[in-house]
Amino acid sequence: MTWLLLGVIFVGALLLRWPDLDRRPMHNDEAVNAIKFKGLWEEGRYAYDPDEYHGPTLYYLTLPLAKLSGAKNFGELTETPLRLVPLAFGLALILALPLLGSGLSRGALVGAAVWTALSPAMVFYSRYYIHELILVFFSFVVLAACWRYLERPRLGWALLAGAGVGLMYATKETFVIQMAALGVGLVGAWAWASYERIPSKEIPRIEPMNPCAPLSPTLSPRFAWGEGGDLSILGMSLKLTHLAAAVVVMVVVSVVLFSSFFTHWAGVLDAVRTYLPMVKRASGHSPHIHPWYFYVERLAWFHVGKGPVFTELLILVLALIGAGAAFLGRGLGDTQVRLARMLALYTLFLAVVYSAISYKTPWCFLGFWHGAILLAGIGTMVLLQLATLRWIRAGMAILLAAGAVHLGIGAWRSTHEYAASRLNPYVYGHTSTDILKLVEKVEGLAQVHPQRHDMLLKVMADHGDYWPLPWYLRRFKNVGWYDRVPDDPKAPVMICAASFEANFDAREPRTHLMAGMFQLRPKQVFELYAQTELWKAYLPTIKRAEED
Amino acid sequence: MKRIVAQRFSILMALALTVGVAKSFAADMEALPLKLPAPAFKGTPTDPPPDTTAEKPKGPRPAFLAPKGCVNVGAKAKVTSSDKAPITGSLDLITDGNKEATDTSTVELHRRTQWVQIDLEKEASLYAILIWHNHNTPCIYRDVIVQLSDDPDFITGVTTVFNSDNDNSSGLGVGTDREYFETNEGKLVDAKGTKARYVRCYSKGSTDSALNVYTEIEIWGLAK
Repeated sequence: MTWLLLGVIFVGALLLRWPDLDRRPMHNDEAVNAIKFKGLWEEGRYAYDPDEYHGPTLYYLTLPLAKLSGAKNFGELTETPLRLVPLAFGLALILALPLLGSGLSRGALVGAAVWTALSPAMVFYSRYYIHELILVFFSFVVLAACWRYLERPRLGWALLAGAGVGLMYATKETFVIQMAALGVGLVGAWAWASYERIPSKEIPRIEPMNPCAPLSPTLSPRFAWGEGGDLSILGMSLKLTHLAAAVVVMVVVSVVLFSSFFTHWAGVLDAVRTYLPMVKRASGHSPHIHPWYFYVERLAWFHVGKGPVFTELLILVLALIGAGAAFLGRGLGDTQVRLARMLALYTLFLAVVYSAISYKTPWCFLGFWHGAILLAGIGTMVLLQLATLRWIRAGMAILLAAGAVHLGIGAWRSTHEYAASRLNPYVYGHTSTDILKLVEKVEGLAQVHPQRHDMLLKVMADHGDYWPLPWYLRRFKNVGWYDRVPDDPKAPVMICAASFEANFDAREPRTHLMAGMFQLRPKQVFELYAQTELWKAYLPTIKRAEED
Repeated sequence: MKRIVAQRFSILMALALTVGVAKSFAADMEALPLKLPAPAFKGTPTDPPPDTTAEKPKGPRPAFLAPKGCVNVGAKAKVTSSDKAPITGSLDLITDGNKEATDTSTVELHRRTQWVQIDLEKEASLYAILIWHNHNTPCIYRDVIVQLSDDPDFITGVTTVFNSDNDNSSGLGVGTDREYFETNEGKLVDAKGTKARYVRCYSKGSTDSALNVYTEIEIWGLAK
């Protein structure tokens, strides 16, 4: 029954995420990732960059989807196969929930699946070709594997956890925060349970070797060594052989990926050296400095000008209820208090740390937001179980259903009507849809130029602020990219930042006209210049859109 | 007959020579081995406040010279529009003299190409037309076209004094005037002393929105 419900929720999540995957213009970061993927796909080369752009998993995971897309070269590749990568991991978060099935009640598990499916933030970033959701998925796998291992120590769970940690590392360098949060969650929850003498669900198979240990298996010693390297800490039983195997797997996975499958050994050292620029960025050497409430205001209540209100307050309130029940150890039903507290501490730690770090971009909240969603699943059941009268419970269920519909509508609007709008809390430094008009004109000009996509094209923008144009102009083979107006700027088509005030159309001899101004992003506008004769040849080819 | 054959032979020879020269010319030609700089990777761009678009252009507009005695002949003039039901505001706001970029001083028309038309009630010699769309942010309006005529239907005797519709997407002809940033100075269009009773201004949305917003239009001229 649970799997049937998850299947229905999965289909609903897919229908919410899949349509019009290529609708939203590429963000700067997506385009950078796409161009980095190009090197791997066309030339089989990838080298980890310790200064920026995160780990290799995103690119290697894109390979099979790019091959399946049927594109013969990078020019034919579209946004869809790229964005299918985060989409797949966003959906996998729903299917992976049963990993916590032994600790979550069925209702909490289904509730968590529903909120994962409908959360506008999760839906929006499931369609974003960046590393974030992949990190969230692997973090969840590690959390679940640790939980399952501590329930019953098995080598398989240890290896899964090790592999998960390796994949987290190879995805994004900030995984260390997730690992710290996991440590806090595990130690905190088990210490608390040990203090309260809460019995574990399963009696540990490891025999306590301390003759002074209590005979009751429900009262675990704080710390004890067993034979064969068995370790018991605060009731957590660990086999050192399992731990060693997990570490080996973690190292192997991360070395394989950072070395680009043993072709670039410097990547392994770079994976450690990367933490210096990370520390600088976290401590304030960045343009993305925001106050502590930056994430909360985007999730809880976001309203700009005449735009709609975007809010995930329902999930936040349910998460608080779930966390409250976890800390009180009451109203959890079949959900294990250890797991609930682990999730609460994990989520709280992540939220506090990410809010404290001055460097912020909206997608960084996905880690703690996923934790909040899991708590919201617990909170949903706590709320329903609080209602002792059937009609009150029915009323609450109706309200929750209405809230779910509202979230679904918000998710749809955030990915369609407001996909690139400043009124959307998840849009950040985003490309304007206006730039697609420039691309359309450049493609049209290429069609009437004798050299077609071999036509010379020059793009000029201060500090290289022309992304994502390298993605959109990927079919062109002769494009020059400049961070200033070069000594010889002339080309059949020129795209020049308006801030340069180049006025190519006014320069003698007057061979070009300015064919329009186009907004790349707020505060970045481009002027399009084309050879006059080329423009005249292009005009009759323009298809006029029919009026409504 | 011989002459015709000779002529045809000459033409063929000329063609052959041309092709031969072209081939030899082509044989000496090759594509320039251009070395073009590759794109430099860039991190996540900043996210300016929601009310920010482009950087404002630098410097004030130079003074515009017109005959002495020019006045705003469009002040309080009657305004009509292709949009019979503006989304917000009323058409009289366009000539009420208030040029501030506030919600209460603008009229918002629907999307796609729309026009507003000002009736001066009698013919005047027009020298400058100043247009303010919504200039609280320096956005760029599309297909800005300014026409003058004595015909209220703008069928005959139409003079286009400004047209930035460079691809003729509004169907009023290909324009060669540059697009521009909206600023608090307004867009000044040189009407060159054209005599007309009616002034019609077109637009087709902006970089900010598909809607068309007007704050004020001033028409400077000499009334008859």
